[in-house]
Amino acid sequence: MADAATTVQVSALAHMLQFGDSMFPIGGFAFSSGLESAVQKGAVTDASTLLAFTRTAVEQAARGDGIALVAAHRAAMAGDVTELIRIDEAVYARKLSDEARTMSVRMGRKFTEMGVHVLGAPLLHAWHDCIRKGQGHGCYPVALAINFAVQALSERHAFAVHQYGIAASILGAALRLMKVSHLDTQKVLYELSGDIETAYERAAKARLTDMSGYAPLMEILAAVHIKAHVRLFMN
Amino acid sequence: MMVAGSLPWAAAEALGTSVPELAAYQDEPPQMKSGTIGKTGYLRLGFETRGSRTILATLERRVPYLAQRALYCDQEMPDLATVFLITTTGCLLQGDRMALDLQLGHGAQAHVTSQSATKIHGMDANYAVQTQTVTLAKDAYLEFVPEPIIPHRRARFVSNTQVCVAPSATLLLSEILQPGRKHHHPDECFGATVVSLSVAAVRPDGRTLFTEKLMIEPERFAMRQVGVMNAFDVFGNVILCTPKDKAERILERVEADVRMADGIAFGACRLPNDAGLIYKVLGHNTAQVKAKVREFWGIVRKEVTGADLPPPFLWR
Repeated sequence: MADAATTVQVSALAHMLQFGDSMFPIGGFAFSSGLESAVQKGAVTDASTLLAFTRTAVEQAARGDGIALVAAHRAAMAGDVTELIRIDEAVYARKLSDEARTMSVRMGRKFTEMGVHVLGAPLLHAWHDCIRKGQGHGCYPVALAINFAVQALSERHAFAVHQYGIAASILGAALRLMKVSHLDTQKVLYELSGDIETAYERAAKARLTDMSGYAPLMEILAAVHIKAHVRLFMN
Repeated sequence: MMVAGSLPWAAAEALGTSVPELAAYQDEPPQMKSGTIGKTGYLRLGFETRGSRTILATLERRVPYLAQRALYCDQEMPDLATVFLITTTGCLLQGDRMALDLQLGHGAQAHVTSQSATKIHGMDANYAVQTQTVTLAKDAYLEFVPEPIIPHRRARFVSNTQVCVAPSATLLLSEILQPGRKHHHPDECFGATVVSLSVAAVRPDGRTLFTEKLMIEPERFAMRQVGVMNAFDVFGNVILCTPKDKAERILERVEADVRMADGIAFGACRLPNDAGLIYKVLGHNTAQVKAKVREFWGIVRKEVTGADLPPPFLWR
């Protein structure tokens, strides 16, 4: 027989699945995170190069946005909106390509609106007001952190959902961009999910100023995408 | 950031003890202690206009950093003050702390470069740190285009650059990073332990523009991975702070492409908060990357000042 604690865990799991779903309607399907250019330019050609490309993307996310996500979750738990604004600005200032900024801000704002509509928590309303008044950009990692914090879902789980989301959206785009099967993409996704725990432990100890990265080719692919005439995806 | 009342290189010392990437290397070299005389270089260059010409109005220096005087050797911009940065030790060693402070007054125009590549030697204790502050007043124009950085195997190097740029000023800040002396030793290609390069820019009123922290730790994150370096060896990173209308004209003219077969990739993106552009290049060898950086620099100079680039130096 299920006790009260199990019931809480089960509904928490269902809520995480809902807000972490790659089909959650915040427009993630419109972005390929550079994969479109990578396929066009021959940097990604098969399942193994797709795995390596996706691994780079999730590693970069863990070393950058992932740290901000953890910090934002802690600020949200403390109800500190000023700190959330500061974190949001730090995320935005580190998005050095136009399309990466567009993606983060669009998905983050939609995610916040959806949270206001579905959950209606006071902190979500406050954050939504900040964005509307131009005090915050509304970047995605901050939005996800607030959403999870107001549902009392842990920062560890928020981090996992964030990392999973990066990989799932690239792999979803891969099915439309290149010759790769559902079998291959699911295998890649499963393999990358195994690294999330270690990446979380590292991000949980880092300061906001420690956000860093190194993926020059990814950034050049983003620049190529801005100049491309024919595009299926928004990045 | 310079702390009031403290020595200029104190910022480099403080940075070295605070960043996590150097936490494991806080031991002192068995040779000269870190941050002692001869290991704390300092250079402060202040440029100002006198009539149509820019002069080097302030020069403070401390070994091993050295600058002599402004030269006016650019045929296309005869009023441009050109300064060569010199490191008398010829390289960076464990325990070195370097601080550079560049200031351009209202309308000043300068070109700052280094005499040769910055070699960072292998280390078995401690690390080398460099801090740079670059301040540009209204309508100032600075080309800061040093020769490449060559981190030897087991090098540990952290660089932090704080930029403060007026909305009407233009800063071209270029960095070329070699993988090491790749023909010298099999472990030399991406053999450095830590190379951490960060740039943060603000407006004079303190508004944040952008931050970039590039962290290279080849033992933790594979360099040959797809999206990172692939088969490329040399990386060029050019930050351009310039007003939005100029940035748009420049972006219009700059090409972007990835040619895996030719071993070259390049392209520019718009920086956040209308700060300007960032241009990145990957190549197999330094000459290719330098040529692409020069191409971008030529477009920037033309669009911002109307002048062309002088012909390249034969031996640089």
